[in-house]
Amino acid sequence: MRLERLRIEQVRQFRNPIALEGLQPGINLIHGPNESGKSTLVRAIRAAFFERHRSKSVEDLRPWGDSAAAPSIELGFEHGGHQWSLTKSFLQRKRCDLQVDGQSFSGEEAEEKLAELLGYQFPKKGASKEEHWGIPGLLWVEQGTGQDIEKAVEHAGDHLKSALNNLVGEVASTGGDEVIQAVEKQRAELLTGTGKPRGEYLQLEKDRAALEAEIAELQARIEQYQAQVDRLGTLTAEFERANRDRPWEEARHRMEEAQEKFRQVESLQAQQVRERETLDHVRQNLNLLRQNLEQMKSQGKKLAQRETDLRKAQETLAEEEARTPALDKALADARGDYDAAIKTVEQARQLETLSRLKQEVTRLDSQYKTLRQNLDKATDFQQKLDEASKQKQENRIDPDLVQHARVTQRQLDEEAIRSQTIATRLTWKLEQGHSLHLSEESIEGEGERRLLEETTLEIPGVGRLGITPGGEDLASVRRTLAHLEQTLGEHLRALGVSSVEDAEQKLARFRDAENRLKHTEDLLVSVAPQGLERLRTETRDTLADLEARKGELETLLKSAGTTGADLPSLAEAERARKNAEQRLSEAETARSKHQTAILTARQHVANANREWQQLREELHNSESQRQFRELADKISESEKREATVLGNLEALDKKIREARPELLQQDIQRFRQAAETQQKAQENRERELRDTRVRLEAWGAEGLEEQLSEKSGDFEHINRRYGELHRRAEALDLLLNVLTRKRQALTRRLQAPLQKHLDHYLSVLFPEATLEVDEHLMPGRFTRGNELGQMTELSFGAREQMGLISRLAYADLLQEAGRPTLIILDDTLVHSDAERLDGMKRILFDAAQRHQILLFTCHPENWQDLGVEPRDLQALKSQAVP
Amino acid sequence: MHSDRGIFVPRFLHTADWQMGRSFSRFETEDGAALVEARYAAIERLAQLAVEQECDAVLVAGDVFDAQGVSDRTIRRVFNATSAFKGPWVMLPGNHDAALAESVWTRAQRLKAVPDNIQLALEPDVILLKEQGIAVLSAPLTQRHTYSDLTEDFSERETPAGLVRVGLAHGSVQGVLPDEVDATNPIAPDRAEQANLDYLALGDWHGAKQINERTWYSGTPEPERFRNNEAGYALVVDISEPGAVPEIRNVDTARYRWHQWRETLSVPSDLDGLIQRMEELLEASVLDIRLDGAITLDGLQRLDHALSLAEARFRSVRCDRADLQLEPTEDDIAALNADGYLGETIEELRQLQLGGSPEPARDALAILTGLLTSGKQEVNQ
Repeated sequence: MRLERLRIEQVRQFRNPIALEGLQPGINLIHGPNESGKSTLVRAIRAAFFERHRSKSVEDLRPWGDSAAAPSIELGFEHGGHQWSLTKSFLQRKRCDLQVDGQSFSGEEAEEKLAELLGYQFPKKGASKEEHWGIPGLLWVEQGTGQDIEKAVEHAGDHLKSALNNLVGEVASTGGDEVIQAVEKQRAELLTGTGKPRGEYLQLEKDRAALEAEIAELQARIEQYQAQVDRLGTLTAEFERANRDRPWEEARHRMEEAQEKFRQVESLQAQQVRERETLDHVRQNLNLLRQNLEQMKSQGKKLAQRETDLRKAQETLAEEEARTPALDKALADARGDYDAAIKTVEQARQLETLSRLKQEVTRLDSQYKTLRQNLDKATDFQQKLDEASKQKQENRIDPDLVQHARVTQRQLDEEAIRSQTIATRLTWKLEQGHSLHLSEESIEGEGERRLLEETTLEIPGVGRLGITPGGEDLASVRRTLAHLEQTLGEHLRALGVSSVEDAEQKLARFRDAENRLKHTEDLLVSVAPQGLERLRTETRDTLADLEARKGELETLLKSAGTTGADLPSLAEAERARKNAEQRLSEAETARSKHQTAILTARQHVANANREWQQLREELHNSESQRQFRELADKISESEKREATVLGNLEALDKKIREARPELLQQDIQRFRQAAETQQKAQENRERELRDTRVRLEAWGAEGLEEQLSEKSGDFEHINRRYGELHRRAEALDLLLNVLTRKRQALTRRLQAPLQKHLDHYLSVLFPEATLEVDEHLMPGRFTRGNELGQMTELSFGAREQMGLISRLAYADLLQEAGRPTLIILDDTLVHSDAERLDGMKRILFDAAQRHQILLFTCHPENWQDLGVEPRDLQALKSQAVP
Repeated sequence: MHSDRGIFVPRFLHTADWQMGRSFSRFETEDGAALVEARYAAIERLAQLAVEQECDAVLVAGDVFDAQGVSDRTIRRVFNATSAFKGPWVMLPGNHDAALAESVWTRAQRLKAVPDNIQLALEPDVILLKEQGIAVLSAPLTQRHTYSDLTEDFSERETPAGLVRVGLAHGSVQGVLPDEVDATNPIAPDRAEQANLDYLALGDWHGAKQINERTWYSGTPEPERFRNNEAGYALVVDISEPGAVPEIRNVDTARYRWHQWRETLSVPSDLDGLIQRMEELLEASVLDIRLDGAITLDGLQRLDHALSLAEARFRSVRCDRADLQLEPTEDDIAALNADGYLGETIEELRQLQLGGSPEPARDALAILTGLLTSGKQEVNQ
């Protein structure tokens, strides 16, 4: 297909007609800046084909604000050697005229003819949309959509396939896909995607297993039931036989027999016990008799022994008695020594007392003298002490008070002197005999008086003269004087003296007495530290003591008489006495022991003699002789008895051994157990019979076999249904399998030519890369070296390039199938770098050898090296169109 | 009791193998239930027959019950079904309902389900029906399997003079029945003669069968399997006097007749013949068909149609087509209008059908042709 010319009028910005003529086969490059009308041109071409001329959805074609416009498009193209000419106008003048080699079509007929030629559909109503565009949708690329190829391929799908069918000479199934869908749907009712049962099929499988389990259980129970029935039969037979034969009675009878035999053995055994007792008795008796005999035989020996004992005792006694005189003498000597030692001790003690007394008298005498002297001195000192004390007592005075009085006296003296100086001096010289009364005092002669106070001078007979000393000081002095005098008076009264001098003297005496007192006391203490009285008593006592000792001494001297100069000392004498005492004690003990020994020996002799006498008498009487004979007889008798009993025992033992009592006992036990076991077994049978019957009754009522039969029926039904579904699932699986396989094989056949063209272009851009076409004829898996992925995962630029390559491949394919292939590219490949763009230009140029390509761009400089003359849209617009 | 020329002639009904409690699990639930009910109806018919035929007694030669473990309800229903005939019944335990220590019979007695006029021959004995002029020598099975002839001692069993001697036993008459019949419970073929029996009533073989002039199997009164062996009858036996040769009448008692067909389809007329035979069958039929050979798509549709008609008419219809090949003709395929890979699929499935496991391929083919012929309506096979 080759578009030759295009003319549009009243379309959007092209209010005036504009024509694009002389379009070339191969690439036609149309350029112009933005908004110069490139898109309008593209839109006009699309509208001419895709939109119904009657469509109300083409308002966008109308020039802005021109309500009377009738947008019209004319185009002419050649295809398959035929000339096609289309004139289409919209809105205000809806018309479509088509001429093919002079043959005219109009209206919808014309439109349908075009649609069939190019491979697209019209919408049922409204504007034409992507999904209607079919093959042109794939080959006419709008600005910025070059990379989105999936939708375009999908929408072109049927047209592509029918084109391809022609190409490969195959008939794709009509309705094959519907069949596949139907099969898939039916299969999905039975199987999951992975081929596992589902729905009823799955339920049947489960039910079948459940039933199988139930049936197995029922069968097991039936087997049990039958086993129980068999057991019941066996048991019944056994029970009845036992009831008839009664084997336990036989056993019991035999047990009784054994018991009888055993009783006999028992009586033999009792006899045996009795015989044994008799034997024991006889033997004991015999033993006793033999012992008696022995005893009697031993008495003779005993008598001889006793005689010997007696003699020995007598000898011992004689020996003891022989020692007596020597012992007595030793005792008497010891006593004599002891008495002498005592006397010596006495004398030694007297001598010692004498010398001690003499010393005592000497000492006491000296002591007494000393005490006597001290007493005399002490008495003297005491006297002096008493005197001093008396003096002290008499002159006791307060020294402090004396000091106060002394001070007061001095102040008074001073004050008196002062008063004299200021006092009114009254001097008088009276005639003899005459007297005056000064105040109350009578004065005579000559005198002077210093007056300090108001004074009256009475001159007898004359009257009275009042004298008042003047001046204030005088009054004050007079008061001070009076006060001092008063104070002094008080002191003196307190001291009990008349004047201060007296007080001073008294104080001196007091102090002297005090000193003496102290001195004398010290002296007294030196001779009589514990007081005079004590000294006196001590002196008296010492004297008395002395007198007493002297008396004693005299007495002793008188009594002692001699004073043995050869006497030992008292201690020595005492030691000698102790030795003598010791010896005496030893002698006495020896003597006492000897006495005891003699007495003991005498007793022994008496005892031995008595025993000897006794035994001798016993042995020599006739009774004893008779007993001895009797004893011998009895022994012989008992020995005979023993032999008899032993014989009896042996016979019994033999009998018992032969009867085998242990076996008899075992027999009894055995037969008893046998009887019990048999009877027990029969009881058990009876019980089991009863239990089994009851159990069987219960189970029987369940109708197990009928249940089994029913369950088996259910199982068979389910199994049959399951088998059917299974077969059906298998068949559907197979069918789907074969169908899919066949369809895939077909698709592969269709894919091959497309792949060939795709590879052709791709090798220009990426020598090592592959882009696979999938079963929907969609470019899918892209590989380049180690890179592997879907085309949709590539970068925008690469996707755009792949998209364009794919479209060109489709175009080649369509052309081979004899379909029209006009390619329109609106500002494409703007995202490609220079290198890729170069590659793409080679590809485009190559494609242009087979297809007409309209390339619109606003970057003409990018396409300078395409080797075609670019058409400037601006220039076109300025050309007037007739 | 009836009179024949003024003389009392003993007449009794001989039946066996009722197999009560059996279920028919291979059938659809509804059909199975109907077949079970038909067996109760058969007993009622036997009782009615005994009344109508003026029989003196009914002898049942074993396998009254199909198993020991039937439900109480089944036991009661069986005895209830006999109620129409008030005369004596003698029932013999067979191999399915042997008189074990605990058995369906002891259960029946415990349930007090056994009417007074029914005698259970639970032990080898002579049952005297003096009024009826019959002495019944019973040989019940008392174990599940017996390998000795239980009728051996019949010759030693004395019966009063004047009564006809009738043996009642259950087992296989040696050397007469087909080989595949179980060899347990053997019975000597000349027992009637050897034991001086006027008649030996046998059970175990489900078809009515004469062994000799005095020895018969009555068979089951209502068929319960497809083996075509004269099932569905009862015998009315007349013995004019002891020693006389019995007169036997074979009376049809069946409700349903069972048919099993094995057909090979090779040419179109085979299918025509099959369909015609189906159309000719009585309604009270149980039909089991197994087909092999091959069938065209057209034939398949005709067969399906005929079967769906038959299902509506008969008690039960089953058709096993596991071995039947589906072979569409060229015309069939052309009619399917299967182009492109659908055509290839059909061809591959046809090839697979001839291989080792033809079934899935055949089914797949059927599904596919079904989808193609009737749009999305699948042909129900």
